[in-house]
Amino acid sequence: MIPDRLRHTGPGALALTGFLTMAAGPALAGDVIWARYGDIDSLDPHRATSTLSMQVWDQIYDTLLAFDEDGAAVPNLAKSWEVSDDGLSYTFMLQDGVICHDGTPFGAEDVKFTVDRAFGDNPSLTMTNWGPIETVEVIDDLTVRITLESTFGAFLPFLADSFSSMVCLSNDDDPDFGSATAIGTGPFKLDNWVQGDEVVLSRNDDYRNFGKPVENDGPVQFDRLIVRTIPEAQTRLAALRTGEAHIAEPPFDDIPDIRAEGDLDIVVAEKTGQNVFWQFTISRPPFDDIRARQAVAHATDPEMAIDIIYGGLSEREWCPIARGVFGNDQDFCQQYGYEYDPDRARELLAEIGFGPDNPLNTTMYVWTGGNRHMLAEIFQAQLAQVGINVSIEILDIGTMNARVREQNESPDDPSPGTFDMMTWGWYDPDILYALWHSPGAYSGYTSDELDAKLELTRELTDEDERLEAVQDVIRYLMENAVHIGLYTPGWEWVFAVRPEIEGFKVGVFLHPMFQDVRLTD
Amino acid sequence: MLRFIAQRLVAALITIWVATIAVTLLIHLVPGDPVRIMYSGFQTTPEQIEEIRTRLGLDQPVWRQYLMYMGRVLQGDLGHSIVGDQPVLTTLLQRFPATLLLTIASLFIAVVVGGSLGFFAAYRRGTVWDFGAMTLAIVGVSMPHFWLGLILLFIFSLSLGWLPVGGSGFMNLILPAMTLGLANAAILARLTRSAMIDIFDQDFVRTAQAKGLPQTLVLYRHALRSGLVPIVAMLGLQFAYLMGGAIVVENVFAWNGVGRLAIQAVFARDYPLIQGFILFFATVVALASVIIDVTYALLDPRIRYGK
Repeated sequence: MIPDRLRHTGPGALALTGFLTMAAGPALAGDVIWARYGDIDSLDPHRATSTLSMQVWDQIYDTLLAFDEDGAAVPNLAKSWEVSDDGLSYTFMLQDGVICHDGTPFGAEDVKFTVDRAFGDNPSLTMTNWGPIETVEVIDDLTVRITLESTFGAFLPFLADSFSSMVCLSNDDDPDFGSATAIGTGPFKLDNWVQGDEVVLSRNDDYRNFGKPVENDGPVQFDRLIVRTIPEAQTRLAALRTGEAHIAEPPFDDIPDIRAEGDLDIVVAEKTGQNVFWQFTISRPPFDDIRARQAVAHATDPEMAIDIIYGGLSEREWCPIARGVFGNDQDFCQQYGYEYDPDRARELLAEIGFGPDNPLNTTMYVWTGGNRHMLAEIFQAQLAQVGINVSIEILDIGTMNARVREQNESPDDPSPGTFDMMTWGWYDPDILYALWHSPGAYSGYTSDELDAKLELTRELTDEDERLEAVQDVIRYLMENAVHIGLYTPGWEWVFAVRPEIEGFKVGVFLHPMFQDVRLTD
Repeated sequence: MLRFIAQRLVAALITIWVATIAVTLLIHLVPGDPVRIMYSGFQTTPEQIEEIRTRLGLDQPVWRQYLMYMGRVLQGDLGHSIVGDQPVLTTLLQRFPATLLLTIASLFIAVVVGGSLGFFAAYRRGTVWDFGAMTLAIVGVSMPHFWLGLILLFIFSLSLGWLPVGGSGFMNLILPAMTLGLANAAILARLTRSAMIDIFDQDFVRTAQAKGLPQTLVLYRHALRSGLVPIVAMLGLQFAYLMGGAIVVENVFAWNGVGRLAIQAVFARDYPLIQGFILFFATVVALASVIIDVTYALLDPRIRYGK
């Protein structure tokens, strides 16, 4: 449907308007240009899930809570909160004097608007991650109460994540909200978004930081942030070298040269929450047998593979949830992990009837990009040494997700079951519930016992009790070789930065922060 | 002439109609459940998946889906994109002027460079100049757009610092237009050369020379005008080829046209946008072909009289 505003103008006028808006203005002296491989999907935090979108929402909006340097949720727009004894009601006291980009004061009505909208007629794509919210009540201008149907351990961390960005009430009934307008309380105001090309943001002089781990709690120290889309990696690198971009993800293969030349700084994000792991088609042979899954885990050496491909930019990850996420403990996970042990892998294969004369043939799915195909080839060679013949299929992430699910839902397929190098980034162990609670994100491994353990991780709100429950789930997933951690981070975590940019940092869970950035000569 | 135009328009409409069938079937040719592939994030509940399936009409028989799709298309509604929930037609129209500008600029470069090179090679037929020009043309035809783009980027942006790397201003147009134009200039050079060689051997050229007309007049007024006819006929095909090439070149130079939009849509598995792009692309190419055919007919009356 064509919006009325456009329908009256006719296609010709529309095309002309499109071209005029396309012609981007030149960069100014106080501009920081951040080049990325792709564009945001939407300015509306309820209409997209991509990391690229979230990183821009972070600049326009703010959240009730914020993640500190360790990944714990701390006060932000909400200066404090009280939880009822039954753990169902959260009463948030909001900061006074916060102003939306259109000049209206930010308060409890804005919070209610945001949450109600997430559960409205066209609900948020992350509605289920908000938790079992029953009601939102405005107590007074700066106090709001959210009541849950049942206790939810991941509720507070969610309120620190960009998916819960607070959308000002002024956006209500604006048909252009999300595509051309966006009003929040974040460090930048939206100037304009030329879809596919750039998002131009200008400094919000009223901005105050309350909880994010930055030194400068006032407005940012430059005029505009231009988030520009340059899909081709070599073109991005060229833009960095000529000064057309200040910050960009460089091509992996060029990173050693960039470091050697010393003209650009390399910033590597830590505690990204990203986890790359093995998972298997468990509905049919061979991976319906735990020993086949364990054999794959023992036969592959992620440490060696990531060292060859990423050269220290990525780390071995023993846990099913990545570093920075609540419950991650390398020592704990390693106890239940699978050391590189090709002999043990051969023994396990022999037990289930595979050997030199009868190799295990299977297919490995891999998400395209980030040099993951090269990692897959190393794993393929390692697996061949123990008698597992793997053919690799490289797929885009959406197709791979769908294919994995289809594999699990085809128990009668005569071909051998597959396995895959799956990737997920999340800020909380609640990801495990989403992945493995019946029916499972991929219709994969489920059991009543695991369901009960996962439900406990959601229901418990006491930190110590929840930690114990989360680690119980981790133990179960690893002992049953369901979700075997490989490495972290895995995508979009390396930034090359020009020397005139000082103070650029990337917060936990891959949230770049510009509050401390200064442009020098 | 009107009858000729009407015939071409009918042919164009048939092409567009075939494209509508292709785009309706496209979603069913994808292995697996298209809705699940499109909304692969686990945050989407089974209820939302079913609601989307109904909204897209994918729970209906294919023939009904086609009729529903045609009903919407005839009202100018190509649906909403999956990513960002934007009207597809509006999105395409916003990006199309950039692609049209790039295509026209590239066509201009292709015609000027390719035409001159071909004309020159024909005029100096059999000499080292002819050999050199045609070798250059073969190199141009063989070189992938992607690679040529990066080479030009390296020379003009990184080494010389004359032109910007990427973006959407006027100066940003030069490199992508050169990339696309030079590669296609090679094809036109070869075509122009063979067309001009034929013309140079024609009796009317010999007659003009025999009459003692100056060589420049013979070449430009007599030979070139006649030689242009097959080249103009080729421009329609070149236009479609350049539009296709724009998909790659726009990505290299971050030029914000429909080609880049198509790549983004493919990576995001945004079927409504991919369908809209194919239909839009087919319509533009079909209409461009009509315009070229009519121009061709104006230049050469034998065409419109079917001789």
